[in-house]
Amino acid sequence: MTTWRLVTGRLVGSLLTLLGVSILIFIIARVIPGDPAAIALGQGADQEQIQALRESLGLNLPIWEQYFNYVAGVLHGDLGQSLYTNTPVAQDIARTFPATFELILVATLIMVGVGIPLGVLSAMKRDSRLDNVTRLGALLGVVTPSFVWAVMLMLVFSDRLGWLPISGRLSEDVQPPATITGLYLVDSLLHAQWSVFLDALAHIILPAVALAMASVGQAARLTRANVIDTLDRPFIEMARAYGLPERRIALRYALVPSLTPTLTVMGMDIAAKLGSAFLVESVFVWPGMAAYGVQTILHKDLNGIVGTVLVIAAFFLVINMVVDLLVALIDPRVGREARA
Amino acid sequence: MTILGLRNQSFLGAIGLNISAALVPVMSVLTVSSAHAETVLRMDEVPPGEADPARAAKIIDAILLYNLYDTLLLPGPGGKGYVPHLAESYSIDGKVVTVKLKPGIKFQSGNPMTAADVVFSINRMVAIGQGFSPLFKGWIANVEPVDDLTARITLSDTYAPFLAALFRLGIVDSKTVMANLQDGKFGEFKDYGTTYLNTHSAGSGAYKLVSHSPTTGSVLEKNPNYFLDVPAAAPDQVRFSYGLEGATEIASMRRGELDVISQWASPETKRSASQIKGVEVLGEAGIAKFLFLLNTKKAPLDDVHCRRALSYSVDYQSLISQVNISPKILGAKPANGPLMEGMLGYDPDAPASARDMEKAKAELAQCKYKPADHELEISWIAEVPLEERFGLLLQSNWAELGFKSKIVRYPFASYNQASSKPETTPHISQLSFNARTPDPDSVLYTLYSSKSAGLFTGATWLQDPEIDALLAKGRSTLDEKARLGIYRDLSKRITDGASTIFAYDVINTFPRSGRVSIPLLEDPAKNTKISGMNFTFREMKMK
Repeated sequence: MTTWRLVTGRLVGSLLTLLGVSILIFIIARVIPGDPAAIALGQGADQEQIQALRESLGLNLPIWEQYFNYVAGVLHGDLGQSLYTNTPVAQDIARTFPATFELILVATLIMVGVGIPLGVLSAMKRDSRLDNVTRLGALLGVVTPSFVWAVMLMLVFSDRLGWLPISGRLSEDVQPPATITGLYLVDSLLHAQWSVFLDALAHIILPAVALAMASVGQAARLTRANVIDTLDRPFIEMARAYGLPERRIALRYALVPSLTPTLTVMGMDIAAKLGSAFLVESVFVWPGMAAYGVQTILHKDLNGIVGTVLVIAAFFLVINMVVDLLVALIDPRVGREARA
Repeated sequence: MTILGLRNQSFLGAIGLNISAALVPVMSVLTVSSAHAETVLRMDEVPPGEADPARAAKIIDAILLYNLYDTLLLPGPGGKGYVPHLAESYSIDGKVVTVKLKPGIKFQSGNPMTAADVVFSINRMVAIGQGFSPLFKGWIANVEPVDDLTARITLSDTYAPFLAALFRLGIVDSKTVMANLQDGKFGEFKDYGTTYLNTHSAGSGAYKLVSHSPTTGSVLEKNPNYFLDVPAAAPDQVRFSYGLEGATEIASMRRGELDVISQWASPETKRSASQIKGVEVLGEAGIAKFLFLLNTKKAPLDDVHCRRALSYSVDYQSLISQVNISPKILGAKPANGPLMEGMLGYDPDAPASARDMEKAKAELAQCKYKPADHELEISWIAEVPLEERFGLLLQSNWAELGFKSKIVRYPFASYNQASSKPETTPHISQLSFNARTPDPDSVLYTLYSSKSAGLFTGATWLQDPEIDALLAKGRSTLDEKARLGIYRDLSKRITDGASTIFAYDVINTFPRSGRVSIPLLEDPAKNTKISGMNFTFREMKMK
């Protein structure tokens, strides 16, 4: 019951946060310099055209009235029309979000599957050559921008070696699987379309690795630091005194409590990727939401900006809630405090 | 130390082997996937791509328009004159334009094209009020079908540029559009099919739309029922990718996965592409100019002598050299006035813009301002990095005359706001200007009419009643010889007034692979002088 109350409380708080974000971004989008109608109509548009479009967008109304009209639309699932694409924003997001989400998911798997084990290994082999190489590699991953990784990986593996595709989610003559989740890897597996799965995998590897590199480095460094700290604790000494194998101590007794700070930071990192993936998406022509969001800002597409930011904010809140629940699961003390 | 019972080296080696093994079926899938039975042309362009002909405004929109739809008229060779296309014949009698369609033309849906579709398309363009609609809005008093194949357009006033405006009117299948209406603001016409035409085509064009995403790409396929013969060598399928980065463009072209790179790619990207085996860089001239617009409402540029001094001191050759892809692949040529080469009113004998410091100093001596009294604001658009280099060059050139200046970066949205008032418009604005039609009105009216003040293109704030009067006269005069005189006069006045520095005539450059031939670009005599029209796919040949 108290857990249910905890979740409900978080949901209510999240809704209030989303409301606050919507007000903030609504105002900011309208305060940014530039006439969205003039920008949308481009060179050659005359004043009458621009004025007509402004009126049709309701930009001549008071801002509070514009906001209430917008919220009324959102409650009906209508995020307005995009001036950038001339299609409903909800449609644009529905089309682009799964692509970015799939990219983030695979990048997260790489981050968890590579970063955490590297961190553990590095901690266990503290100050060894392996540790030094891992730490250097992790630092390189963190300091190198994701778009640099993207360009390098593309030039090496796609351009020079020709091993992997350059761009897109699927090859030209491969039909996307019928939509269940919108994630091609998942949907193709669910439909047992193995060739489609492999094609989708080949296309996502490089952008996912490029996106994951910084996070792998960060996860490795955080995990190493936390595991080292935990390995120095008295209860670990007690475990050693009992004669437990070092591997068991590291993986069972040291890793789990060390994951709490790592999970929290990684959660924020995953959520942030929804907005920051645009450079990787641009290099690999990945039809994702991050690239769409950046274009709406550059074109002052008011509805596109607000819709994209709301989705990113909602995603942030969901990820943070999931991370908090995971942390409470891993560390019962945190769960008890939260429920109290 | 072991992990999971394996030694470290064996563990890592096992991982490596597993990865390699996993890649083998992946690579075989890729090999199979890359084989194509039909010819496919692959191009890239800047997003978003607009498939609705009534909302077409950018070059990609125009390319889609000319391939998915047809127009009543086409320009003649070299962009001169008018050639009937959908029209069998046309006539102008004062304010009345009569167009007779060729019989037997069908839309991609199979519906026959009638005069009612012409009427519908014009009314639709005007009502939606976007794209190229300023070419029509306010000029159409009435449009009606006379019979099944004849449409009569009554203009509100004599309007000489009207025939050229028809180059931008794609004829739409009214029955298909009306069958696919969604809720909208156009009364009985609801949304006028804007939702449907965003992702479908309803034209008669040589190609039909297979799929379209405004931000990622479009796929077009040959229309087997096109009313003209389409050579077998024309591409069977055309695939557009939108928004490719430079590195991606080069890699794709090297792998044979891209045939034509967009004109908007950087000179560095085009230079790299030109070095790929089989790639040639094609040029397209006579459509665009690069201009520095001087705000004539802001001191010291409200003095014509100061403006002329600035104009004479610019190092035009250095400007051009920054745009050229290589000494042999030109991206620009000297400009000699506001009109594009070949346009009515263009004077081939007018001197090209050239640096002359003696004249610059002589003009400066007549200026009522001292150069040091004002700091010039040279703006550049953040999304166009090349403009910053131009700004630096101008700063250096004008410092020789004693002018102080600062170079200010404007995101496009900010510039749009700043240029809405004379006091906030920078002293110098940079503009790459594309003519919408081959008619001189589409250049001079857009840039120099008082009605353009406050828009991107009106950053000179010229607001000259004499210029306005001549522009109006150019519109209302049908006699070509008389119009020639008017536009020559206008060009000279505008050049003498020095409200604009004509940096260079743009040569749009397109790296293209050896797999495709683009005759409309390869032969200057065939250049249509209309942006987007030279990419009429039925005219191309796949090798």
